[in-house]
Amino acid sequence: MGGESTIEEGGEVRVGVYVCHCGLNIAGSVDCEEVTKFAGTLPHVVLSKDNRYTCSEQDQDLIKNDIRENDLNRVVVASCSPRLHEPTFRKVCEDAGLNKYLFEMANIREQCSWVHLRDREAATEKAKDLVKMAVAKAALLQPSEEIEVPINRSALVIGGGVAGIQAALDLADTGYEVYLVEREPSIGGRMAQIDKTFPTMDCSICILAPKMSDAGHHPNIELLTNSEVVDVSGYIGNFRVKVLKKPRYVTDDCSACGECPEVCPVIAPNEFDAGLALRHAIYTPFAQAVPSTYIIDMENCLNKEGVIVCDKCIKACDREAINFEMKPETVELEIGTIIVATGADVFDPSSLPDYGYGKHPDVITSLEFERLINAGGPSGGHLIRPSDMQIPKRVAFIQCVGSRSEKNERLYCSNVCCMNTIKDSLLIKEHWPDTEIYVFYIDIRAYGKGFEDLYRRAKGEGVRFVRGLPAEILEDRVNHNLWLIGENTLQNELYKMNADMVVLSVGLEPQKDSEIVQRLLTLSRTQDGFFMEAHPKLRPVDAATGGIFFAGCAEGPKDIKDSVTQASAAAARSGILMAKGKVTVEAITPLYDPDKCTACGLCTKVCPYNSITLNKATKQIEVVEAACGGCGTCAAECPFDALTQNHFTDPQILAQIDAVTEHGAENKIVAFCCNWCAYAGADFAGVSRMQYPPEARIIRTMCSGRVSTKFVERAFARGAAAVLVAGCHPGDCHYINANYQTRRRVELLWKRMEANGLNKERLQLLWATAAEGERIATKIREMHSLIEEVKPEEIEKAKKVFERALG
Amino acid sequence: MLTAKPVFVEKAGEWFLDDERLRYCHECGICAASCPIFELFGRGFNPRVLFENYLLNPDGLLASEKPWLCAWCYRCYRRCPQGLKLPEIFLLPKKIAVERGYTEPFEAALQKIVENVPLPLATAYVCFHPERAGLDGEDVLKKIENLYEEFLEAEKEQLGKRAPRGKVAVVGSGPAGLTVAYELRRKGYEVDVFEALQQPGGMLWKCIPDHRLPKGVVSKEIRMIEDLGVGIKTGVRIGEDLSIDDLWEEGNKAVFIGVGAHKSRHLRIEGADLESVVHALDFLWRVNSGEELGKGKNVAVVGGGTVAMDAAKTALRIGAKEVTILYRRSREEMPAIPWDVKEAEDEGVKMEFLVSPNKILGENGKVSSVECVRMELGELDETGRRRPVPMGGSEFMREAGMVILAIGEAPDLGFLPDGVELNEDGTIWVNPVTMETSMRGVFAGGDAVKGPASVIEAVRAGKCAAESIENYLESLEG
Repeated sequence: MGGESTIEEGGEVRVGVYVCHCGLNIAGSVDCEEVTKFAGTLPHVVLSKDNRYTCSEQDQDLIKNDIRENDLNRVVVASCSPRLHEPTFRKVCEDAGLNKYLFEMANIREQCSWVHLRDREAATEKAKDLVKMAVAKAALLQPSEEIEVPINRSALVIGGGVAGIQAALDLADTGYEVYLVEREPSIGGRMAQIDKTFPTMDCSICILAPKMSDAGHHPNIELLTNSEVVDVSGYIGNFRVKVLKKPRYVTDDCSACGECPEVCPVIAPNEFDAGLALRHAIYTPFAQAVPSTYIIDMENCLNKEGVIVCDKCIKACDREAINFEMKPETVELEIGTIIVATGADVFDPSSLPDYGYGKHPDVITSLEFERLINAGGPSGGHLIRPSDMQIPKRVAFIQCVGSRSEKNERLYCSNVCCMNTIKDSLLIKEHWPDTEIYVFYIDIRAYGKGFEDLYRRAKGEGVRFVRGLPAEILEDRVNHNLWLIGENTLQNELYKMNADMVVLSVGLEPQKDSEIVQRLLTLSRTQDGFFMEAHPKLRPVDAATGGIFFAGCAEGPKDIKDSVTQASAAAARSGILMAKGKVTVEAITPLYDPDKCTACGLCTKVCPYNSITLNKATKQIEVVEAACGGCGTCAAECPFDALTQNHFTDPQILAQIDAVTEHGAENKIVAFCCNWCAYAGADFAGVSRMQYPPEARIIRTMCSGRVSTKFVERAFARGAAAVLVAGCHPGDCHYINANYQTRRRVELLWKRMEANGLNKERLQLLWATAAEGERIATKIREMHSLIEEVKPEEIEKAKKVFERALG
Repeated sequence: MLTAKPVFVEKAGEWFLDDERLRYCHECGICAASCPIFELFGRGFNPRVLFENYLLNPDGLLASEKPWLCAWCYRCYRRCPQGLKLPEIFLLPKKIAVERGYTEPFEAALQKIVENVPLPLATAYVCFHPERAGLDGEDVLKKIENLYEEFLEAEKEQLGKRAPRGKVAVVGSGPAGLTVAYELRRKGYEVDVFEALQQPGGMLWKCIPDHRLPKGVVSKEIRMIEDLGVGIKTGVRIGEDLSIDDLWEEGNKAVFIGVGAHKSRHLRIEGADLESVVHALDFLWRVNSGEELGKGKNVAVVGGGTVAMDAAKTALRIGAKEVTILYRRSREEMPAIPWDVKEAEDEGVKMEFLVSPNKILGENGKVSSVECVRMELGELDETGRRRPVPMGGSEFMREAGMVILAIGEAPDLGFLPDGVELNEDGTIWVNPVTMETSMRGVFAGGDAVKGPASVIEAVRAGKCAAESIENYLESLEG
């Protein structure tokens, strides 16, 4: 730790700079030759070149050669986001014998050329600044060694739907130990509820049940049903997970003989049948349930709080499997990788009063329809309408209920509803060919393999597709028939149609408790509420947090095939990590200078991982490196500069600030963005080509908790017009809670600014997720207007107030 | 031809239109299916197609009479999955046309309104609002009167040539009842309208304030219908003076019920029975009859519907010191027409959202103040809006000399025979296509069926019912 030897102590720093054109992605709005020329004038730069594609094999070789031939000991690449290609170029350095921590990147694509497409001059100036900042930091970089940590060869799969089952089976078959946690009493998920699958019309439970049973019997899979993950700590390869096993009140001795429900006096709605049928308080959710062990629903059972008032099931059970003494139990697991397969919920249409769901009995949802048409369902597969148990002669399906709507706050297409309806219409036709079927739609999306065939088949069978959604559904009070009033938008005509039954094709939405899972695992979610992948194209099943992967609808609405595909992909990705058996963690732990330490203990209080302890005897602190998450908030907290963060040291960050503010500081915004949310959000703004003014210069830290008050003060002391500190939303911090320190420090600075008569608006704090590019762009636009109002005397005043920070 | 495109692009930005959102119409057709004008005009007016033209063919829109046919009921907006405010979007081409003195499309629209929309004088005032595009109300009225008179002369001539047909009774002389009478009379039926009050017109006369609809216009409208040969019998309350059975005995072959929603819902809180606590409909009626209620007082209006807006604006006009609307949800959830809310605010009505009265305090039997509690929005309720929940400990007092309660109106249907089914909310159930109630030969429409709504919706229901009644009577004749 501290005092690590620098390379060639006192020797010459030789920086090589490579400016990438990225085809026209950068060169289209940045004058790369000029930036290259400028880079050549910077201190320590011995070589600067521009390339068409720096990441190409050829240009990688060029860098390697340059390192060897020109004795480069620092490399700067100005191209895309370090979140994309930092690993690529670090490897290039290593290949050429240079420690990979001697590499630095300037993000002139996502955070420059793509967001200033129409202002070449300003974009070029900004690119120069970004290169200058990178070179300034690079000159101070030190080589570092990463520590290697072992990876537990066991995986946790959260959610036992088809995606979770598939992922668990794949991993178990590879030979890893798998814990499959399911909240419900049985695995199976939504697929178990569905009657048939599209486009092949396979019986859903028939193809799922064998998989469920495999998962139940697999020697490498431990099923934890009726259980929930309640706590997750640790990091990639070394998660410690607590799972709460709720009591079933029936032991594994149960043989599922079915005697107990016969005698149980209590009935309740059966959740599995979407509430359309009843079950007893002791029950099994469905015939193929895994595990088949019965369960007692204590909410409804007469024996509450351990007082036995009814013992009918106890008496009926020959195997004495019923045990009212069972207590909730917490299991602690050591886990290497986690697969999130928590699935999706269905939209509740009761919030659409015009469709009368909940008011008119014969308006049902597509999920209820699945149970009604299912041979194992409450009506034995007879499609009967709830109001009078008659078989409907005319059925209407309404598409996009709760999807693609601004008002319902669900802007996305739910992907599965079109094909599901087409499949459902064919199921009706199969059993009752004379049924008239109308499908009211906006667009029919039959995009997958075999989908168009099924659509054609439905049309061929006489299913009528009407473009235009009903505006309202009214019930005929005399015969319960339903009136649908809408516009046929292809005919430009009003329709008032009578139907016996209406099926609302409801969309999928994120699970209601996604927020809890998000917090437990420090994940990000996109604007529509589904979990966000690390990269939409190249890392589609990885979470941004290492060692965590997604499968199924948790990441976005998908059908069974896509869920299974993704599950196998997630299993493979987590298998890769576990097969390797070890992972290196970035060398971004604290650097400690005991001479400066006064043993004040402030750092121990802010560390989210409790990895710093104060040794009262030696009056020094001790850092447990393996437990450190690498947020750097201790370094920001230390008032005596006794702590700093490796690779994000105070001198390095101050050098970046100084580089930004050297010229024209009065027109610039110094922005600090955390790697996971705000910086990624700024990248997202770039990928989405959101345009915003060019004044901001972003400095990346791992966490906004790294931003010390002295950084902000230094920026103002050097005459910056404004400062932005941006991080993850409170509660979403990737370092547990380090961003609460950010908030506290910014509030402190605001007070200081106010006390000194400075406009505190010049320091802005923003919370933005990786998906909230627009929030970042909007904030920068706001700050653009703000700095136009900042007067030179205000800048001078701030310089004076924070003068001390220059020292 | 005017080149409107650049003007549109330039102006749309300056406007209150949410430019971003304009692009997101998925053409579901819900707007058209909710639009009373689409039903009255058929292909002559389709808000969805009109909106598409807004983006595809803006110059064509300036030359079209269609934007002028929007009746500002906002039913499209209430249901639009994207929340597009079409009436306000359609205002832009009208304003540009007026600014440039390009009024031919408007005149073509007037002709269409006269031919297709019953009660053209009243609806021009309370529905079509040409003044919002900058036209002079008086001029418009004169034009429309002339066109209407011409049209009715021709109608009368036609009518003279027709053989008389059956007899129909209409209960209630509000916009729905008058429409049915007018339409059936034009078809040759003999129609009697029964009105419980001394003055015909229903809400048009009773509660719509004079500033929105001058009384002279209402009497002219009714006189024109009477001239056509419709009998209007005032002071006859069905259920007291005559029964439905009596109507059959008098030889009527069909009955239309259009009694509106005149029963105010009550607020069950302490002090609601104090003097100076009035229901909005009573308030409006008394003001329309010449009383100067609330002059010089601090008036609190409870509720967020159109009636609340009317009451608030009326109170201000009479000379109330200050008028504040207390609404328990937020602006988004207000049932009032958004434009009316905006107008009320422009006129100086204050709005307090997420506030509900707890009790009304009095001194010497008169209102002195209202204790209110702040609300927050919870889960969605059965109306699809978020349910307001009181925030404990947020009670506060506000001074008030008068409280107007406008928390909803319901129809008074005690007089109906048992064979007529009602909905859960106390309105009459009708077959949505034929407007026939569950009793054969008895039809209904307007606020008595839908609950409080705009005049144009009552007119639409009346026209639809008149067509059904004709079909029904023809079927009787075999």
